[in-house]
Amino acid sequence: MRIVIAEDSAVIRAGLKEILADRGHEIVAAVGDAEALLKAVETHDPDVAIVDVRMPPHHTDEGLRAAIAIRRAYPKVGILVFSQYIETRYASDLLSMRSGGVGYLLKDRVADVTEFTDAITRVAAGGTALDPEVVTGLLRATRHTAVLDALTARERDVLALMAEGRSNAAIADRFKVSERAVEKHVGNIFAKLGLPPSDEDHRRVLAVLAFIGER
Amino acid sequence: MTETARTPETAASSVRRALAAPFTKRAWAELGYTVTSFLLAVAAVTFIVPMLENGIFWAVSTTPVRKLGTAARFLARAQLGEDIPAPPPLRPVSYVKVATPDAAVAAGLAKTVAAAGGRAREWETKPGLTTSYLPPSQVAGLAAAAGVAFTAVVPRNELANYFGTRIRDSAGWRARAYFLVKLPLAALAMSVIAVRWAGGLFLVTFPAWRALGLRGFGGLGADNSLAAVLLGILLLFSAPWATHALTRADLWLMRGLLVGSGSSAQRIQVLEQSRARVVDDSAARLRGIERDLHDGTQAQLVAVAMKLGLARDKLYDPSSVDLARVTQLVEDAHRGALEAIADLRTLARGIHPPVLDNGLADALATLADRSAVPVELITDIQERPSAAIETIAYFSAAELLANVARHSGARRATLEAVHVPGLLRVRVTDDGAGGAKPTQNGGLRGLAERVRTVDGRIEISSPHGGPTTVTVELPSHA
Repeated sequence: MRIVIAEDSAVIRAGLKEILADRGHEIVAAVGDAEALLKAVETHDPDVAIVDVRMPPHHTDEGLRAAIAIRRAYPKVGILVFSQYIETRYASDLLSMRSGGVGYLLKDRVADVTEFTDAITRVAAGGTALDPEVVTGLLRATRHTAVLDALTARERDVLALMAEGRSNAAIADRFKVSERAVEKHVGNIFAKLGLPPSDEDHRRVLAVLAFIGER
Repeated sequence: MTETARTPETAASSVRRALAAPFTKRAWAELGYTVTSFLLAVAAVTFIVPMLENGIFWAVSTTPVRKLGTAARFLARAQLGEDIPAPPPLRPVSYVKVATPDAAVAAGLAKTVAAAGGRAREWETKPGLTTSYLPPSQVAGLAAAAGVAFTAVVPRNELANYFGTRIRDSAGWRARAYFLVKLPLAALAMSVIAVRWAGGLFLVTFPAWRALGLRGFGGLGADNSLAAVLLGILLLFSAPWATHALTRADLWLMRGLLVGSGSSAQRIQVLEQSRARVVDDSAARLRGIERDLHDGTQAQLVAVAMKLGLARDKLYDPSSVDLARVTQLVEDAHRGALEAIADLRTLARGIHPPVLDNGLADALATLADRSAVPVELITDIQERPSAAIETIAYFSAAELLANVARHSGARRATLEAVHVPGLLRVRVTDDGAGGAKPTQNGGLRGLAERVRTVDGRIEISSPHGGPTTVTVELPSHA
């Protein structure tokens, strides 16, 4: 995959380059601020952009705003936002545009190299990769809405794991149930959320976005 | 807890200092200041005295008198490097008359106005009051907020405000008092110059004058040329000390009269500003610490975790382990972890140096040892000041020593911390290039602001060519 990295800490930037190169990805650009990120995406048209939320000059949410701009201008480019803190507001800002190819992870997750590179692959393929903490935060904020009230507790748990980007097999493994059982839950979720039958992957993304959109 | 660490050469060096006294830059600076400040005092008194005639003159002379005060502070700063804070600007009186139908209402409003920092005087003939120092809109707002039914809020006319503001300006009166006391002091200082500097010079060179044909002068003749020279030397060497003492007296007078007065309204204003500074200061420090953690330690640790994660994944498959690569990753991670620990230690020390728990003397000793410029440490702290004061004193000393190392080009410095009842004095002296002054966003400015938050004060003496002495005085308990 062709990847652009935007991260102002030189230490982390170097670490990311090392990990991704090790997994055979091509780093087409590694930049330190939002402006350079926008330019790099324009020049290189990468598969994925990995974006730190806090970057110069103000160290607030420059990266996130750049990520949203990229999603508008280049919907095909997958965006993986990562930061040292999880702000639910940031996540819902980013996810409020209803399409896949987006992720939001804590920087700590990078340490689990395989999971991290899997997340990048999912995002590049149009899926989602939400940090469990993001999902927890969003669920907390969403608890009392009509959509979620219609789901059973188990269905809510399944939806949360879907938001993280887990496959049915992974969810089944987590809950120690059969994959069949998970498929049934997922089907119920699709039905309760009123998602029309279509390509399974696409429906998963829509389900996740529906519940985020409910906030 | 007393600790005095003087180097043995101190006695010799003080003799050397006494001999060199007339020839230091500071002595020449004080000599120059004596002359210029004398001229200013003559001009000021010539202006002020006739203007004491009547109230109209008082009012119109207030602004020029304040300017004269500014000129005096300017001379002290430009020639002596002494920073005398300016009094607050003229505070407009802005009289407002409030008529009410009810005397009790007037009394209530008078209290509200006083609480808001204004002044209020109730009328004797009918219910109502005249307020001062608050703008009319604020008075109207206070009246409305207190639910006071008032019949009218009338700003008194501009002319009354103009005269009231200027005649009541305490800074103006204090400046007048300063110049009236300064003039005789300056005259005395000039006579010191005439007798000790000029007279001394004349006597030292008396044999030369005789050679040029001068027969005698006063009681001096050919027989006592030697006595004349000796007397001249004595006068010349005592001259800088006399000038120095009189300059000190002048600066003391300036600090008493040319800075803000102690009225309670102004005191409240000062306290409000200092509280705002405390809040801003601590918020900025927390932000700084968060940034340091985020950019430094946290990033370091994330990188360490990444490297270890990669190494672990490589070890999962024992059949094809690239041992050299894994070793490299672990080594990188190890180095990163050590760097993170060092970062964390520096950061923790910046928040609260642990050695400060043992007392200021120990903490300052550590600071002096770490300084790039050799520091002579003199501490006399019998009783511990409060923790907040110790912390401010410590960071003041740290900032000042850092300045010495960074800017002054000094070869050695002295750090002195003395605690007398009620007052902790920290003084840093260096033999560097001088010319230190507080600049916008500079370290000295930040230091001055932090010191002011606890009602302390900072005195900077740094003529060009040096030496630089910065004194920080803090109350023992804050």
